[in-house]
Amino acid sequence: MSSLNKKLVLAFLFIFMFGSFGFYVIDRATKSRINNIGIIGQVPAFSLTNFDGSIVTEKQLNDKISIISFIFTQCDGACPIMSDNMSVLQERFSSSNDIQFFSITTDPEFDTLSVLTDFSSKYSKKNNWFFLRGNIADVVSLSEQGFFLSAALLPVGHSTRFVLVDKDSNIRKYYEGTVESNIYELQSDIVTLLNQE
Amino acid sequence: MTNKFFFRSALISTILSYLLIFVGGLVRVSGSGLGCPDWPKCFGRWIPPTSIEQIPAHIDPAIFNIVLAWIEYGNRMLGVIVGISIVVMTIIAIIYFRKNSKILYSSILSLFLVGANGGLGAIVVSSLLNPFVVSLHMILALFLVSVLSYTTIESYKLTNSNQFTGIHLSSSVSISLIALWILIIVEILLGTGIRTNIELIAIDNPLLSKGELLNALESYKYLHSVLGFSLLFLSAYLSYLFKDDFFGLSKQLVYFIFGMILFQIFLGELMIFFELPQLTRLFHTWGSSWLVGIIIILYNTLHYEQPK
Repeated sequence: MSSLNKKLVLAFLFIFMFGSFGFYVIDRATKSRINNIGIIGQVPAFSLTNFDGSIVTEKQLNDKISIISFIFTQCDGACPIMSDNMSVLQERFSSSNDIQFFSITTDPEFDTLSVLTDFSSKYSKKNNWFFLRGNIADVVSLSEQGFFLSAALLPVGHSTRFVLVDKDSNIRKYYEGTVESNIYELQSDIVTLLNQE
Repeated sequence: MTNKFFFRSALISTILSYLLIFVGGLVRVSGSGLGCPDWPKCFGRWIPPTSIEQIPAHIDPAIFNIVLAWIEYGNRMLGVIVGISIVVMTIIAIIYFRKNSKILYSSILSLFLVGANGGLGAIVVSSLLNPFVVSLHMILALFLVSVLSYTTIESYKLTNSNQFTGIHLSSSVSISLIALWILIIVEILLGTGIRTNIELIAIDNPLLSKGELLNALESYKYLHSVLGFSLLFLSAYLSYLFKDDFFGLSKQLVYFIFGMILFQIFLGELMIFFELPQLTRLFHTWGSSWLVGIIIILYNTLHYEQPK
């Protein structure tokens, strides 16, 4: 073999070796992302009232990716950050009609429909964000049994997590709604889910 | 004996640093940068967790992805190995090459650079992969391999005094080589700018496809292509200068540079037509780091070689 040919063969082997390794790692990373949002459970039946007075049930979750959180309007700790983050997500995904947001109040006594309407106009810029209220016992059981999120000492003791629910009402993953890195993670998981379907 | 020993140690440091750039690129293209949310430990452990039970209570287990954690940690572990190998090299330089200022200072500089870049790695994680910080991390690595390439070729010259012949560093060769190196740095900065801005746009617009992200960039993206093609002509001119006068290492290096620039243009076009495949991005970045080091090696072989 001439020395040029030898070099070309070496170059080929070199690129092939590193290329295969790179491809393998990238492939594993991509698949791990999908595996990481495995199905955790199914959202149970519920019936709550949206701020505009309409009734929202579990059927609303069909065929859309949903981000769900528990908040109350008088809360001044985590909730404003959570709502700000949700607002950012709503803005970033505003071009898609396959995504919707839910904020369920843990203080239905104070958070009447008119309070929720004011609250929604402060954060929501599109009609794909539902601000829901209902019987406090229903909210507690939805949080604890439906989403496996603690709901002790309400209203303050609500969970600060966001729940990612897929188009078949499956709970896929939880995110700390006040932590920026979790919001990035949620964002990329939404894109993964959208691309999968 | 010490000459050879030092050369080996410098060569190993250089090769490992190039591998590190490959692995670092792999972290970026596979999106594993936040695989470990803390630094320097991974989920509070020196050896990353292999199961979810090992996650400490204060860290949310939902963010744990074992594959991404190990990819990120692979980069850190290789970084530590590179650090150790450069420490060894610098110690040898301080003990035996105190009078050789080229070797002594370049070793110390590389030690400083590898330490600084390790520290910058912490900021990469704490900034949640701010695209500017990530790019700076890459650029610092390019300076590191430049300095290491210099150290390696200088130490090679200590033991191989008669191996190059007939090469003269004329002013046209010298100017073209320096110009090529500077332009490649500019080209890399432009490419880094493209990547940085794509990532910044993608944060606010997660639904845009890769092609749409490319279209959203300002017109400087064309400058990257145009300069790329001009570099091809400049390296062709260099190959011409080396055409028949010289045989041996220098000529091979010039041809390598020409071939690599051609390969880079090919990869760049692939990326435009196939919407930035990750593997192509990886090799495009890695190839550019090779160019930077090889030109430095070439220049310093010429420096040494005297006309007959």
